[in-house]
Amino acid sequence: MIEVKDLAFSYGKDKQALRGLNFTVEDGEIFGFLGPNGSGKSTTQKILTGILKGHKGKVWLFGQDISVMHTQEFFQKIGVLFEFPYLYANLSAVDNLKYFSSFYPKAQLRDVDELLEKLEFKKDFLKKPVSSYSKGMRQRVSMARALISNPKLLFLDEPTSGLDPSGAVLFRKIIEEERRKGTTVFLTTHNMLDADLLCDRVAFIANGEIAALDTPKNLKEQNSNQHVLITYLYQGKREEKTIGTSELEMGIPFLHDGIVSIHSQEPTLEDIFIRYTGRGLG
Amino acid sequence: MKGFCSLLKKDVGLMASGKFFLMSLGFLILYTLYVNFGYVRFVNAQLFHVYLYDPAGTQETVSPQVRMVSGKEGIYTALRDDDAGIGIDASTGKPELIFYEGEEKADRFRVDYAYSSLQPLADYHAEAVGSNTPEQKKRKEITCELLFFEIAAVGFLGIASVLFKEKSMGVIRVHAVLPIRKTLFLLSKLTVFLLSDLVFAILLTILNVGPADTAVILPAVLLQTVFLSLIMALIGLVCALLLKDFRQFTLAYLLITVFVATPVFLSANSPVKLDWIHFHPFYHIYMGLKNAYFGTITENLFYYVGCLAAIAILFAGAWYVFSKEMGKEG
Repeated sequence: MIEVKDLAFSYGKDKQALRGLNFTVEDGEIFGFLGPNGSGKSTTQKILTGILKGHKGKVWLFGQDISVMHTQEFFQKIGVLFEFPYLYANLSAVDNLKYFSSFYPKAQLRDVDELLEKLEFKKDFLKKPVSSYSKGMRQRVSMARALISNPKLLFLDEPTSGLDPSGAVLFRKIIEEERRKGTTVFLTTHNMLDADLLCDRVAFIANGEIAALDTPKNLKEQNSNQHVLITYLYQGKREEKTIGTSELEMGIPFLHDGIVSIHSQEPTLEDIFIRYTGRGLG
Repeated sequence: MKGFCSLLKKDVGLMASGKFFLMSLGFLILYTLYVNFGYVRFVNAQLFHVYLYDPAGTQETVSPQVRMVSGKEGIYTALRDDDAGIGIDASTGKPELIFYEGEEKADRFRVDYAYSSLQPLADYHAEAVGSNTPEQKKRKEITCELLFFEIAAVGFLGIASVLFKEKSMGVIRVHAVLPIRKTLFLLSKLTVFLLSDLVFAILLTILNVGPADTAVILPAVLLQTVFLSLIMALIGLVCALLLKDFRQFTLAYLLITVFVATPVFLSANSPVKLDWIHFHPFYHIYMGLKNAYFGTITENLFYYVGCLAAIAILFAGAWYVFSKEMGKEG
């Protein structure tokens, strides 16, 4: 679906934003693109969505070179959720969606009401102007805007931002549904939980370069110190001990009266990111 | 085409919600009331009042507009309240003028006017150029000025306010990923404002110049309106996209309107002639509009080429800053 080779971009002479990115995104994959502010995430997404021009290197989307394919047909196939919910504040959710959907062929459009219902949008607000919505409601309408055209490739920038926990769970469920339908998702986020739960593969980007790229599981395994933390009871006391996983093969290698819990000491995605880039996900 | 219609509908909606049409209607009513109940009455107003003291009645052919006073003191009293007036003391049989000194040229005019008012029946023969009555001439002049001001200042502000709204909502960035030609976003705004300005020009001209004259001059007036409207709308678009917020824009707006309108009105409608005014592009546009109102078609080909080139360059500039805006961060 996406193939990027030696992608480089600079804003002016001195501000090199991307320094030779290489990655591919397969059809139907959820690909996480993670990095701190100013790392080049947004620049990459803008190049892929045709907003920024003048890059070096090669980018293929839908099997075609993007430098010649930013046509109306291309934009009919993609859906983009921006970091902020950009909507007409004077229009209602329904009117916003009707307006934005009016640029697509009718045959590929989803039903506005059905989509908003799926996103658990409050019915009382359907006809009220967006200016009266909470951030979570605006984010739901923005997600509906990105999905309304049944895109084959979905670019999502911080999709769960501004949502309460149940809203975030709902959004993850919807993104999973999209994947099941065969939609490819390019997910840009700071949210490690979203990346861990949703992404088939993640790329860590820092200073315009990809520092690591693999499945979250592989990244965690590769960076694991192969230790487990055991909480146990012994002689009426609660104690903890960290041991290597190889030591567990012969059973618990110390005296105990009972095991309270065993936790793997696997690093989180954020730990791995810091390990690769030396920077936190600010 | 369907996408363009959606853009047009949205822009009309934004303008309506921003009370733009209501504001234009308000200005139309205000201008019309001003022209019909204020400005044209100035045509019949006397420029300078003349006060005559002639106890012996030596002046036999005095104009009925001359005001008679009793005594020389009466002249001084009248001039204290009316310092542009002229007093004539004819108590000795020979008229002597009394007035507050002003600008030399104006004083000469006042002297001639005062003397002529003592001989109103003199046989003046002058060839009248053009078919406009003084009132119609005034009507055309002021309608032209008001139309120029409306488009250059009010319409310019209107397009910027609409774009600032969209800019602040961030929706311009959404249009970057919609399946439409991006130039349509600008073209739709230009179309709405152009149509709105054309309707305004038609109504203002009919209401203030009269339907009969309007029928004759309208095509030329509309052509000039198209040039002015597109140029101002494009300048408004560029400014709104370049400047950070509406406050900055207001400052730029003041500068632009002051520099566009003031020297042009001064040079075109008063005896003040600025040497450099021929280098001021809006002077030529204003004169093009004024000529259109007086039925004189601008024949200079460079003028039309210049207008079209200005529109093309401004459109390219607007497109450039619009593309930059689409790529901006949130």
